[in-house]
Amino acid sequence: MSRIALSRAAIATTAVALSLGLTACSSGDGDQLGADAKQTLTVWAMGEEGKRVAEIAKKFNETHPDITVKVTPVGWDVAHQKLVSAAAADQLPDLAQLGSTWMGEFMDLGVLEPVDTKAFKADDFFPAAWKGSERDGQVYGVPWYVDTRVLYYRTDLAEKAGVAKAPETWTDQLALAEAFKKLDSTKWAFSHPAGGQGSWQNWAPYLFSAGGTILDKDGKPALDSPEAVTAFTEYAKYFDKGLAKDTPAAPGYDVIKDFGAGSVPMFPSGPWMVQNIADQAPQIEGKWAAVPLPAGKQPASIIGGSNLVTFESSEHKAAAKEFTKFLTSPATQADWYEMSKSLPANKKAWDEPALKNADVAVFEEALNSAGEIPPLAQWEQVAHEIDVTLEKLAKGGDPAALAEELQKKTEGLVS
Amino acid sequence: MSGTNSAERPASSGRAAAGTTDTPAESAVTGKAAARPLRKAAGAGTRTTSGGTPLRPDRLSRHNLSGWLYSTPFLAFFVTFMAVPILATLVMSFTDFGLRNVTNPFDAEFVGLENYSELLGDEQFLRALFNTGYFVVLGVPLTIGCGLLAAVLLNSGIERFRTFFRVGFYAPVVTAIVAVAVVWRFVLDPSEGLIAGLAAQVGLTAPDFLASESLAMPSLIAMAVWRNLGTSMVLFLAGLQAIPTEVREAAKLDGAGAFQEFRRITVPLLRPTMLYVTVMTTIGFLNVFEEPFVMTNGGPSDSTLTVSLLMYREGFNFFNMGYASSMAYTLFVIILAVTLLQMRLLKDKTK
Repeated sequence: MSRIALSRAAIATTAVALSLGLTACSSGDGDQLGADAKQTLTVWAMGEEGKRVAEIAKKFNETHPDITVKVTPVGWDVAHQKLVSAAAADQLPDLAQLGSTWMGEFMDLGVLEPVDTKAFKADDFFPAAWKGSERDGQVYGVPWYVDTRVLYYRTDLAEKAGVAKAPETWTDQLALAEAFKKLDSTKWAFSHPAGGQGSWQNWAPYLFSAGGTILDKDGKPALDSPEAVTAFTEYAKYFDKGLAKDTPAAPGYDVIKDFGAGSVPMFPSGPWMVQNIADQAPQIEGKWAAVPLPAGKQPASIIGGSNLVTFESSEHKAAAKEFTKFLTSPATQADWYEMSKSLPANKKAWDEPALKNADVAVFEEALNSAGEIPPLAQWEQVAHEIDVTLEKLAKGGDPAALAEELQKKTEGLVS
Repeated sequence: MSGTNSAERPASSGRAAAGTTDTPAESAVTGKAAARPLRKAAGAGTRTTSGGTPLRPDRLSRHNLSGWLYSTPFLAFFVTFMAVPILATLVMSFTDFGLRNVTNPFDAEFVGLENYSELLGDEQFLRALFNTGYFVVLGVPLTIGCGLLAAVLLNSGIERFRTFFRVGFYAPVVTAIVAVAVVWRFVLDPSEGLIAGLAAQVGLTAPDFLASESLAMPSLIAMAVWRNLGTSMVLFLAGLQAIPTEVREAAKLDGAGAFQEFRRITVPLLRPTMLYVTVMTTIGFLNVFEEPFVMTNGGPSDSTLTVSLLMYREGFNFFNMGYASSMAYTLFVIILAVTLLQMRLLKDKTK
């Protein structure tokens, strides 16, 4: 006991010394610069966005010549760890792009500056995107771009199998898969992940479509609800009937080759696949379609994407707000779509010519009814548990029993 | 060591022809005799120049100081990047350090041995422990066996392509794991892979190695053996080349066949190398991380989940640093115990 007390005392002393050192270095919260002052705004953006934000910032300088935007591109694979270490070292930038499922963690870290809801209105954005960064009435991130899931399928092969109409319900989807299976060229009727990292993204739409949610009203996991069991049962059908491969795909598996060859004629995925199919399987142009995910009780998909967050430690909050406003304005969002093919989170941007003329209606429809992943600090762990459950489900596990097991495991994680 | 061996063995073998044995024996003796006075002279030389006994402590401390100075860069590096983190991990393993503590580390609470007791009841950890054991028990003997075999082959017969084979066996050791993964995925791919192609030639269907719960781990072991046998081969090769040819020649003259020569000469004289290779390979295999990380990510159904992989997941994906630290120390204790056991078993026999 005494030893613990001693080390606690030692730690406390070190803590005090450190915090004194830190406050001596940083000039504290008082020194906020106005948006008109000459200053440099540091921004971290991930992947391709990192390269493009710098370009779009030039346009921002036409109206805000005093704010120099310094963009640091960060790779997606290291971004999470880099941000967490920066938070630990108190070295965060002013503004950053944050993956939508990371919101909960960073809220928990207490490093995010609440969004000024007078400047940014919930009504302007897709509801699920906005709700994903809301906790206890405070909003911590402004939705920047969104992505969602739709169903890709080979229309030519569907016709060959005797199905002329696009699938709209779960029953349609199952019937289409069974029709596909009868074709000689088919290896697997449906590319439906049997567990493995990220497979929760394919199951969540079933949950939302059945009317379920990840958390109940009290903020406790609701993964053994009747709706969740329905979703698991529906998901399992494809494995039970031999329509989908019952083992996880090897890391790095790309469905496009099989889709192009016709051996896997149906898969659910995000908007980026439109371009990828056009690039990698040009021979099937006009022979495939993307439709909203077939629905159970209600239409549903999930929403993903990125938010823009300002960090509490920033001394350039006013400038950060101006830049965020610029990036989420309908005009910039439309430019951004043309540049990167990322879907605008701001609904007004969808009226801009760039999007009006593009073939994106299917995504707009999906986005309006999409469910959101709540901002949980332990989301990564919950997601992992869902992945594990799906793997067991594909091997023939009982949906109700697995749902119960999943509920027990996740209850301990979410506080 | 080698001097005494070459001097004694030919003498004890009575049938040895005088002409062949005398020269090496003599030269060994003269070599020794020449070395001894030389060393003495050098020692005496330094002593006299430093000025005798009174100055000795002073000279020593100056010696020490420059020694410390020279090792400062290494020590600074070691303390910052090794000692401090190792100690911090130990402290952390007794706390509930989690995501929230990243910004306020001193809020972490001491929980005593709670993490460790939780580990004992953690099904996933026990599974990972079992998988790691499986990996070691199958992988280490295979790596050492194949490495020794390759070394013996390279050391004896094939003169012409020696360099080619040496490079061939060693190349996987220095190849980046990502490149290795690409190659092995091609080998194991169930539809277009090398094995599937060969199987198809004879009318068989290859299984989906990495997606099968029973085959995934053996596949990773095969990959690890291929990757690591080069290291043990190089060490064995060095050990083999240190065995003096006279000993072999003597054995041959005594009528020993190739197998007998291997058993009576090569194996006993390789024992120190064997100890080193065994200990190092076992430590490496107990820490197995890269193979499952790049090939299967622990799946299917946790069948390739190893302790290091689980530790990485808990620590860096979920930020349960306290819990992950307790795993690290548990693994450390296991490695220490296994190493001590091996040192004991393999060392006693050499005496």
